[in-house]
Amino acid sequence: MSDRFDAGFEDKATDVPVRHAGSRARVLKTLTGIFSAKPDKSAIRIRLAAWVFLAVYGIIAAKLIDFGLRPDPPQSIKRAAADAVAAARPDILDRNGEILATDVKVMSVFAEPRRIIDKDEAVELLTAVLPDVDARELRERLGSRKGFVWVKRAITPKQQQEVYRLGLPGVGFLAENKRVYPNGPVAAHVLGFASLDGIGMSGLEKYIDGQGLAELHGAGFNLTPENLTPITTSLDLKVTYAVRDELAKSIVKFKAKAGAAAILDVNTGEVVAMASLPDFDPNTPPDPRDLEYINRLSVGVYEMGSTFKAISVAMALDLGKVNLRSRIDARESLRYGHFTIHDFHATHRMLSVPEVFTYSSNIGAARMALMAGVEAHKAFLYKMGQLSRLRTELPESAEPLVPKNWGELNTMTIAFGQGLNVAPLQAMMAVGALANGGFLVTPTFLKRDEEDAKKDAPRVIKPETSESLRYLMRLNAEIGTAKIANIQGYFVGGKTGTADKIIHGHYSKDKVFTTFMAILPSDKPKYLFLTLLDEPQGLPETGGYHTAAYNAGSVAGKIIERTGPLLGLPPRPDLPTQPFPLLAKLGYAEANQPAKGGGEH
Amino acid sequence: MVRILNILAIAALIGSAIYAYTIKYDTIFHAETIVKLQHEIKREQDTIGMLRAEWAHLTRPERIQALADKFLDLQVVALNQIVRADSLPGKAPRVDAIGRKLEALGLGEPTNTPGSGSIIDPAASSTPAR
Repeated sequence: MSDRFDAGFEDKATDVPVRHAGSRARVLKTLTGIFSAKPDKSAIRIRLAAWVFLAVYGIIAAKLIDFGLRPDPPQSIKRAAADAVAAARPDILDRNGEILATDVKVMSVFAEPRRIIDKDEAVELLTAVLPDVDARELRERLGSRKGFVWVKRAITPKQQQEVYRLGLPGVGFLAENKRVYPNGPVAAHVLGFASLDGIGMSGLEKYIDGQGLAELHGAGFNLTPENLTPITTSLDLKVTYAVRDELAKSIVKFKAKAGAAAILDVNTGEVVAMASLPDFDPNTPPDPRDLEYINRLSVGVYEMGSTFKAISVAMALDLGKVNLRSRIDARESLRYGHFTIHDFHATHRMLSVPEVFTYSSNIGAARMALMAGVEAHKAFLYKMGQLSRLRTELPESAEPLVPKNWGELNTMTIAFGQGLNVAPLQAMMAVGALANGGFLVTPTFLKRDEEDAKKDAPRVIKPETSESLRYLMRLNAEIGTAKIANIQGYFVGGKTGTADKIIHGHYSKDKVFTTFMAILPSDKPKYLFLTLLDEPQGLPETGGYHTAAYNAGSVAGKIIERTGPLLGLPPRPDLPTQPFPLLAKLGYAEANQPAKGGGEH
Repeated sequence: MVRILNILAIAALIGSAIYAYTIKYDTIFHAETIVKLQHEIKREQDTIGMLRAEWAHLTRPERIQALADKFLDLQVVALNQIVRADSLPGKAPRVDAIGRKLEALGLGEPTNTPGSGSIIDPAASSTPAR
C-alpha cells in the first residue's frame, strides 16, 4: 500500500519536469531534499537553517545600529518635562531676612501632541477653560511634531480642576517653580527679574545665575528651594519702601520726569536702599529694551552738577593746594577763551574755601581745580573711580562719558560737575570715600561687614581731608545751600547739585537735573543719602526756583526724617561738642562751633 | 527519628520562609511609607514656601501703610518723640500710701496674714471685675 503510494509520488515527480520546464524540477528536488528524512539530503537543510538564522541576526544587528545612529531619539515625556520645567532659584532676602523674591509651586498645563486624538476639539475645549490662551497659536503648537508643548504656564487651582474635568488624553499637569516678588516694584531695579523658565534676566537674578547656578542646573543637579542657600542682600525692605514712597510723592509734586534715591552705608559700601522711578513690577516685567525703566543710579550717566564740587575741593585740600583758610578769587566771572563761568549765587568777592563750598561757587571750584592742574585732576578723578566703569553685582552698568580731549576748560567745568557724565552710584562711592575717612569702598548689593569692605578698599584721601569735607558739608547744611535737609537731631551734612541739561547740544536754562547728597551724622558718618530728580519744575512755594535745594534737597530731608529711625539712628537732642577733633588739632577751632548767620545763602 | 528530623527541617524551612517574606513585605511597606512621607514633606515644604510668599505679600510695607492710614488714627513718628532710654526721668521713689496711713494710725506692726509668703501677681489682681 505504502509502496504504491510512494511509487505514485515518484511517478508524479518524474512526470512534472518532463512536461514543464527544468527549473521546476530543481525546486521540487530541493523541496524533496528539505522534507526528506534521508541523511544524505540533510546538508541542504542545515545550510538553509544557517542562512535563515544569519538573516534574522543580521536584521537585528542592522536595526540596533540604526537605533544607535538615529540622530533624534524619541524623547520620553519625563525627560522633556524636566528640561522644560522652570528651575528652582534661591530666595533673595533683605538684610533683616524679609523675603524679596521667592519660588512658589504652581501647576502648568502641558500637552503631548502625538497623543491628542482630535486637535481642533482639544484647542476649542482648552481655550474655553483658559481664555487667555491664543487659539490659533495653540493649534499651531499642537500641530508641531514635538513630543511636549506647554499649553499654559502657572494656572490657578480652579483652572486646573476645569482642565482636568475636560478629560483630554495627552493633556497633563506639571508642578513648576514660579518666581514671585511679594513686594512688587519695591527694589525692582536691584532684584531684576527671572524669566518663566527660571533664568535670571537682569539685576541680582542675573548675578545669581552668573555665580554658577545656571551651570548647576545645566549639569542636571536636582536643585530644590530647600537646598539652595538664600541670598542676603544689603537692602532694607522697609527703608527702601520709605525711600521709594517719598521719592514718588516728590516726583508728582515737582512734576519731574524721573527720579532716583539711594542710601549707602559709607563704611561697608552696602546699598541699604535704592529706588529709581519710573520702575516696574518684576512679577510682570517690561520689555528690557525700554529705556524708560533703566536704573538711573547705575545705568544712567549724568552730569552730577555741584555735588562734584565736593570732590574738587577735596582734591585741592588733599594735594595741599589750599587749606580751609585760603582765599579764592570769585570777584568776577572766570573767562576762558569764548567761555565764561558764572556763579549762580554771585558774591563778587574773595571767598574762603568753606564759602566756595557753601555758596556753591562755580568760579571757586574751577580755580581750585586749575591749581591742581589738568593731569593731577584727571589722576585724582581716576583714583576716585570716576573715569572707569563701576562694577557691582548688578550686571547693568554704564561707562562714564569722559571728554576725549581733556583740556583746561574741561577741568574747569568738571570741577563744578558739568562735562563729565558718571553714574550716580559712582559719584556716591566717591563722596562716601570723602566722608568715611578716605577709603574708596566699592558699593555692594550684598550684605557685608566693615572689615570685609575695608580689606581691599584703597585709601584715596588723607583722614584730615575727609574730616574737612565732613565739616564743609555740615557747614553747608547749617548755613549753606543744604539747609532744607538739616534735620534736627541727626547732625546732617549735605551738598546740592543742579546741572543744566544738554538739549540739542546746548545747555538748557530751564531743564535741569538736580542732585542732593547728604551724610549723617557728620561727625562719624554712617549713611550717605542721594536723591536726584530729572527735570523738576519750579513751584510757587519754592519761588519758582527749580534748583536742587528746593526739590532734591527737600526730598532728601524727608527721606532722612523718615528713614533715620528705621535705620536705627537715634536722634541726638544736643549737637556733639567736638565733632571734628582732627581739625581742632590742626588749628581750626571754629569748625567745632555751630555756624551762625548766612541768611543770604 | 529521621522522620522527626525531617519534619523539623521542613517546619524550620517553612518558618524561615515565612519570616523572610514577612521581612520582605515589611520592608516594602516601610519603603512605601517613606516615599509617602517624603511626598507629604515635599507638599508641606511647598505649602510653607507658598505661605511665606503670601505672608511677605500681605505684610509688604505698601499694604501695611495703606491699611494703617485707613484704620489707625496714628501720626508718623516725629524725631523729637524718640528719646534715649537713659534720658528718661528716673523712677519716682516708691510711695506706700496705705502703709503710711497705717503708720500714721499706729498700726504699722506687721500682721500675720495667712498666705503672706505667696507672691500675688499684680497684673492678675488688677483685672477689673465685670
